[in-house]
Formats: sequence, structure tokens, C-alpha cells
Amino acid sequence: MAGKVKWVTDIEKSVLINNFEKRGWVQVTENEDWNFYWMSVQTIRNVFSVETGYRLSDDQIVNHFPNHYELTRKDLMVKNIKRYRKELEKEGSPLAEKDENGKYLYLDFVPVTYMLPADYNLFVEEFRKSPSSTWIMKPCGKAQGKGIFLINKLSQIKKWSRDSKTSSFVSQSTKEAYVISLYINNPLLIGGRKFDLRLYVLVSTYRPLRCYMYKLGFCRFCTVKYTPSTSELDNMFVHLTNVAIQKHGEDYNHIHGGKWTVSNLRLYLESTRGREVTSKLFDEIHWIIVQSLKAVAVNASPSLTSSTANDRILKYNLINDTLNIAVPNGEIPDCKWNKSPPKEVLGNYEILYDEELAQGDGADRELRSRSGQSLGPKAGRSRDSGRTVLTTWK
Amino acid sequence: MLQEESDISLIIAQIVQKLKGSNLYAQLERQAWGSWEKRILKSLNSMCTELSIPLARKRPVGEQKELLNKWNEMGTDEPDLSLFRPVYAPKDFLEVLINLRNPNYENGDSLSFRTHLGLIQVPLKVKDIPELKECFVELGLNTGQLGIDDSTQVPPELFENEHVRIGQKVLAEQDSAAAQQYIRQGSPTALRAELWALILNISSQPEDILYYEQLKTNVIQHDLLVDSLIYKDVKLTASNDDYYFVFEDYLYQVLLCFSRDTSVLNHFAYNSASPPKSYIRGKLGLEEYAVFYPPNGVIPFHGFSMYVAPLCFLYHEPSKLYQIFREMYVRFFFRLHSISSHPSGIVSLCLLFETLLQTYLPQLFYHLREIGAQPLRISFKWMVRAFSGYLATDQLLLLWDRILGYNSLEILAVLAAAVFAFRAVNLMEVTSLAAAEAVLADLSTLKVMPLLQIFLFATVT
Repeated sequence: MAGKVKWVTDIEKSVLINNFEKRGWVQVTENEDWNFYWMSVQTIRNVFSVETGYRLSDDQIVNHFPNHYELTRKDLMVKNIKRYRKELEKEGSPLAEKDENGKYLYLDFVPVTYMLPADYNLFVEEFRKSPSSTWIMKPCGKAQGKGIFLINKLSQIKKWSRDSKTSSFVSQSTKEAYVISLYINNPLLIGGRKFDLRLYVLVSTYRPLRCYMYKLGFCRFCTVKYTPSTSELDNMFVHLTNVAIQKHGEDYNHIHGGKWTVSNLRLYLESTRGREVTSKLFDEIHWIIVQSLKAVAVNASPSLTSSTANDRILKYNLINDTLNIAVPNGEIPDCKWNKSPPKEVLGNYEILYDEELAQGDGADRELRSRSGQSLGPKAGRSRDSGRTVLTTWK
Repeated sequence: MLQEESDISLIIAQIVQKLKGSNLYAQLERQAWGSWEKRILKSLNSMCTELSIPLARKRPVGEQKELLNKWNEMGTDEPDLSLFRPVYAPKDFLEVLINLRNPNYENGDSLSFRTHLGLIQVPLKVKDIPELKECFVELGLNTGQLGIDDSTQVPPELFENEHVRIGQKVLAEQDSAAAQQYIRQGSPTALRAELWALILNISSQPEDILYYEQLKTNVIQHDLLVDSLIYKDVKLTASNDDYYFVFEDYLYQVLLCFSRDTSVLNHFAYNSASPPKSYIRGKLGLEEYAVFYPPNGVIPFHGFSMYVAPLCFLYHEPSKLYQIFREMYVRFFFRLHSISSHPSGIVSLCLLFETLLQTYLPQLFYHLREIGAQPLRISFKWMVRAFSGYLATDQLLLLWDRILGYNSLEILAVLAAAVFAFRAVNLMEVTSLAAAEAVLADLSTLKVMPLLQIFLFATVT
């Protein structure tokens, strides 16, 4: 009989622990021999830092790639995408094609963004071109909506102007680093409200890239009606959708937490805007995800705190499906595994992208989706959607 | 105006109905409705006296301005509604229906009815499964359906693609009758909004938009007591719903206008009920001082706003949303909370439900009765709300497709029976009403079309 998987975690959350226990896995401490370690972000940082030089052995798996912060930190993410685009351009890849105005045709999914204080002067130049525009300031190292604010006047970011002048040789404290992006002030509204998407993507291997998208993602709504009027710039309940912020608003409803499933969203959009537009939208979302992953690595810390009962169930099932893919058949990990799991174990995940399969078809069809292995026109389906997909994914 | 066509067809329907039905029932209906109507009016009046709020008042100019500014976000208002209570809830209405008796009922009548062990005691004619199969023939096993044959495992070439193509053609030709026939097999999501509008004959002319604006002005200028009831209902039901909370503000915009729309009074011509009347202060009983209250003659009950909520998934322009809802109400929804002998009326639906259960699932029916869990007590609320708020939205819309397609609400009773059939195994094991309620508490994962199909066409009868 195969040995039981030995697990460790430093996060005391029932959605995790219940899932390990129900598989009959054995809990151990980090000093003992372990096969599966669900690490907090801090632990990952320590374990894989240059000083400790820890290396996983062949029968060990962890839940984050060591360089996950390349996508978590906003400044690194932006740098990576910019660099990725330049690389593709140099290679002459068709993905990096631009239109007559110099805009990327397929890779224009990040709004104009600068690092502060480093790019302060570049930013000012851009700002002056459209002085009535609004920009959004986000601290590089924080999450859950902390420290974000909007500006529409240079005076509001005086601080970073000073820093840029005095700190050419002083290394910027990472706490102070911000990214500033052009604020998109005509977002799609539903019921007059702004919303964002929380999608779960599992990356099981990086090379070749194999990633899965959880079908049960959701949208988070602002409690207050959206208005682009500048008088409401300070009202974070209008502009930011993070639950952590919305939770403190007066209208926050604890029964549903202002969320919709992605399939609800899809139903609404198809009903009110039509099938083509909706399919295109979802294709583009998937595209952005895959391209971002290719540009680098993954978000460290999806919140495992559940705000409602439904939420708890969702996260439990999410972890369950995740473990089924990452540790198939509950066998002790072996890095030599051919890690393409059979369709049955996917649960509520769908294959977002499988590089091996894609490449097996020839290099020029690298990004084309294939039947049974791509996200079709409807959430919850896994089949070729034919022409619609081909034209978008090229 | 826009309702002329439907008015005529409805008047005709009324005449046919009168010819079919017996005088006995008409009398019964009037009596029953009369006393129920008195009760709800009394409740409304006493609330108004207790709270010292007039049934209607003109708003001061300042208040009018404020409301106009807030028109798109009335949901953010937090008036104190704790003293308001819904005028009635579905279960109150059920008690009324249970107590309906035909005083002239002859014992020689219908042998089968004498053995009817459900709660409804009015011997109306309802269909059995063979008749339902004939009626709902397009739901049969050999006909493609959306809600079944568009699932992931089925290649779209087999049914879905062609069905979509036909739908587009029907829309291009603006053929309302064809649309009604077509939609019996379900509507593609992207075509549904237009198809429903076509079937309901809603075309959004400038005069319709103007009419809606007129109603809105009415709302701004006058405050009605029912407004608070509407407000409370939305807060209690739609605002807490996983799917519909987003559309809270639209619901006020529709329902407040709806209560002031006197054209809705026209539906009372074919509704055996009559609109509740009120009298100008001090002129009680004097007919020339009678006014309909609320102006549209419809007193909202607990859950009323759920008739509107699903429509928000299809229409986001307020005047269009309004028109569609109004038409749905005067064609269908009013039957779910008035007493009549119409086959789509709630009394018939209840009887149909009970009869289906007792005839085709007798063991289950008797068991539930034994343990004090009369099935109708559980399914009543589903039918009164046309399942809104109980099913997942996509499933609900597929169900309402068929209501439009067959121009009948009978499918609600069939679905209710099908749900019981589906959960029969678990229900046979419960020993109390509360436990039965628990088994049937969550319908959000149900797939409506397979359930209907199996119940009608695949169960051994």
C-alpha cells in the first residue's frame, strides 16, 4: 500500500485542513519529512530566499512557485509585462504586432503605468498631455485595497516628486514604492455599479506552462452607484471593489457580500449584449491571464477567509479540486510525474492552457485552442468554440 | 394605446371563459374574493391609522427635488420601515384558498373529487398527465430543448445551432405568433429579450417612454403608503437574493411607477377580482368619492418584487423593463394571487399540483399527509412567485420561456410536482413538516427542463 502523503501548513484555516484530513493524509511538522507544504507567503519567502538556498527534494510539493511575487507585486508585474512585450517584438512574433498608432494589437491589456518615484518625470510628461485625466495610485507591496487612492492633480503626489529628486542613489524603501496607472473611468457597470472579477487560476507547471481556471470565479460589486464625477474621488466605496474595503461600508450586505458568480455575469451579458460580444470578452480575459503568466508568475495570497457561508463552501471545493490536480490520486509527489491529469479529476477547473498539447500541434498554432482543451464560449464548457476562438487567439 | 391588441384578445378570452365556466363558480369567486379584499383593505387602513400616515399625500417641493436627485439610487435610502408590515404573505392567501367551499356542491358530482385528499376543496377541472403531454407536446423526448440539448456534452450541430438560426429568422420577420411557437423549445440567451418583447407585443415607441416618464413624475409628486410597502418588500426579498441584489434600484423604479399606473385597472375586466376601493375622508360609502387604491388596483404582498427581479437580467432600460413587467403582470402574474376558476389561476394550479401528486405519486402523497406535511403547504410559495427566487436565474428564464410559449401557468404546477417526484426518496424518510421543508428548501441546483421532461414523458403512468 502506498504511503500516505505527509502534509504541513502554517495557515490555520479549516478549508485547508478539512481537505487534507478527508484524504487521510498525515499531518507532520516542517522539521520532519513532508511531501506537501501549504505555505504562507512569508514562509515561501524565507524558505526560498537566497540565504537559505533550500531545495525541494523529488517527493516534495509546495503551493507557490518561488518567484510568485513577480506577479503579486504590482511594479514587478508591470515590468515583466513590458519586458515580455519587448522580447516578443524583438523576436518578430506576430503577437507583438502594433496598429498604426503604435498600440499593441493583442498585448494592450495594461493601462499606461509608471513606477513611482523612479518614473516620476516620465509620468509628469504623460500627465500633462491629458491634464483632466484621473490616475490611480497603488502601493506595490500591499493587497486587499490597502493604501489605494485616486488623483487628478499633480499636487496630490508631491511626495513622490521630492523623493525622485533626492533618491537617485538611495535605494527606495519598497514600502514607499507605488505604481500609478491611468484610471479607466468608463468601466462596465451593472445595476449602475462597478465590479471586478476574482478568478482562480492554478498553475501546475511552468515549463511547460500548464494552467487551469476554476469555473466558479466571481464578481465583486461596489455597494454604491458609480459616478465618474470628481467630487467622489475620495469615496473609496464607489471605486474600489475589494471586499475588505466594501465590508465597512454602511450598505454592505452580509448575506451575499455583493458577489455574483461568473456564470451569472455571463448570463447577464449574453442576455443584454449578445453572444458574440460576451464570448469575445471571456476569450480576452483568458488571453490576458495566459499572457500574464507567460510574462511571469503567480498571485501569492488568495484570501482564504470566508465572508459568507456560500463563500466557505466555494473555497473548500476550490482547495479540494486544487489538491486533486496537484497531487493526483493522493500519491506521494514525484517530480518525474507526467503532470497532465485526466479530465475526470479536474472538478470545477478547466484547462486554460496546456503548452505541451499546444506545441504538439506546431509552433504557429501555439495559442490556438483545441477541442476538449480550451475554454469554450460558455463558462462551464470545455470544447472548441470554433471560429470565434480562432480569430481572437490567433 | 399599446395594449389594444392584447385588450381585444383578452376580452375575447373573457367571453369564452364566461361561456365555459358555470355561474356557480363566478358566484363563489365573487364571494371569496369579496371577503378577502375586505380583509386586506382593512389591514391597509389600520396600518395607515396606527402609523398616522395618509394613504396618499402630495410631496413638498423640497422633497420632490430630493427624490428626483436620488431616482437612480433609491436603494441607499434608509427610511424607518420597522413599523410597516406586508399586507399579506402567500401563506395567508393559502389559508383563504383552503377555506374555499362550493356551497352548492352536489355529492353526485365527480367520484374522483370525493377522494381528493389535498387542501383545495373546489372541484375545478384539471388536466391529467396524458392531457398535459398533448398540451406540452414540444417538451417531449424527441424534440430538442434548450435547457437540455444545449448542455456541454451535446455537440451544437445537433440542435442548438439550428435553433438559434430559426430564432434569428423569427426575429427578423417580427412574427409574434411564430415567436410564441418557437419559444416552447426555449430561447437562446442572446435572443430572449427581443423574443419576449415580440411575444408580449412591446415595441418601445416614443409614447411609451413618455408614458413611463409621466408615471415617474407622478411618483415624484405624490407619496403613497404602498410605496413604503414596496420599499420594505424589496429590502426583504430582492436585496438579499444572490442574483438580484444588484438590481435593487431598478425594482423601485418599476414598482413605484407600477402602483400609479391606472391602465393596469383594465385587467380587472377579465379578472374576477375587483380593485380595492377607498373613500375620500369623510365620504365613506359614497360612490362618487370612491377612488381605487393604489391607483393601479394592485396591493403588493410579501415577495411581489420578485416578479420584476428576473426581468432585470434582460432589460436595463427602465421604460422597457417597465413595459415588459406590466405586460407580464396583466397577462400572467395577476392570476397567481387572485381567486378565479381560470385554468391558469392559482386555485386551479394548486388543485392540479395536488391531483398530480395524489394520482401519480400516491405513496409519497399519503406519507406526507400522514406526517402533517401537506405538499401544497410547501409548494404554494413556489407557484405564487412563479418560482422566482427559488430557481437559478438561467433555469427560471427557461421556465418563463415556456409560460410565454404556452400562454399558460400550468407548467408551474407540473414543475412543482416534478420537484417532489425528484426528491421523493428523501421525502419518504422525513417525519415532520419541518424536515420536509428542509429537503425542499434549496432548489437552486435544479435543472428545470429535464425534470419536466422526465415527469411528463418518462414516468410510467
